[in-house]
Amino acid sequence: MLTAEELQRYDRQIMIYGFGEAGQEKLKKAKVFLAGAGGLGSPVAIYLTTAGIGTLRIADHDKVELSNLNRQVLHWKENIGKRKVDSAAAKLGKFNPGVKIEPIFETITEANVSQLVGDADLIVDAMDNLPTRYILNRTAIKKGIPFFHGAVYGFEGRAMTVLPGKTACLNCLYHSASVPEEKFPVIGVTPAVIGCIQATEVIKYIVGLGELLTDRLLNFDGLRMKFSEFKISRDPACEHCGTPSKQVKKK
Amino acid sequence: MSVDVEISSIFGSYTDGVLNMKVEGKTVRECLHDLVRQFPDLKKMLLNKDGDLMHSYDFFINGKSVYPKDMNTPLKNGDKLNVLFVIHGG
Repeated sequence: MLTAEELQRYDRQIMIYGFGEAGQEKLKKAKVFLAGAGGLGSPVAIYLTTAGIGTLRIADHDKVELSNLNRQVLHWKENIGKRKVDSAAAKLGKFNPGVKIEPIFETITEANVSQLVGDADLIVDAMDNLPTRYILNRTAIKKGIPFFHGAVYGFEGRAMTVLPGKTACLNCLYHSASVPEEKFPVIGVTPAVIGCIQATEVIKYIVGLGELLTDRLLNFDGLRMKFSEFKISRDPACEHCGTPSKQVKKK
Repeated sequence: MSVDVEISSIFGSYTDGVLNMKVEGKTVRECLHDLVRQFPDLKKMLLNKDGDLMHSYDFFINGKSVYPKDMNTPLKNGDKLNVLFVIHGG
């Protein structure tokens, strides 16, 4: 049940055809696990919070550094040296005090990922490395919950939505490919674009609107200002989803 | 046998800004080898010592993923080959 204040706060999105008060209530009941509170995590967290997500659990093991501030818009100069999850929680609480923010200052590992994700309805990938993305992808498949992938490099970014058991997963796309763990170039507008696409996908999934970015890799090339799509099929031999997995939960 | 290749903007500095090009070849391998013949600076970026696409890249044919990822996958005249760098930043 939405309060009078919520009806007023979310009035403009409740007006969207197919959204309505029912959609807003779905958002209010939803719990999101956000892996990363950096460049991608900032816009994802901001727009899910302003949209009125019920609970946002954010995991990140880093502290704020000066070199983060060109893109990680949840963190400011005054936060340098502080835990990113605490810095993020403080800002998000001001964006929307009606959202429950659960900051987790931990490194996501094979050993703790299931516990960290807990009973979240879905996982958002805002990580800065491939190995953790693969851990999260596997976890989403095991738990039968959607996985919202995003990644950036320079002016280029990508996004894809995974519905376990139904659509191609991150490993179908990359086949355990690896890249050197090194500092990557990026300008703030790139994670802003991709993070907003991920947040859009999450909102659509929870509310039950539109077509999801499934079986499609969306590539954003900011230098050419061009969006491209690649059709991704499930790989029958995929080491992550090639065996029967739980069916995705119905919202 | 002409194939259209499109590479990511990330590689622009190795190709004088050229991102769309035509190559000759009947397989992905032949096309990529013709690509690095035309743009030699790309070779160390794309191919390993065996002449295979490095593990940090992916390719798509006519906008679709290919399984298995085989360098000997055949291509026909007019096909489009996209080569993407596997990006990891967040």
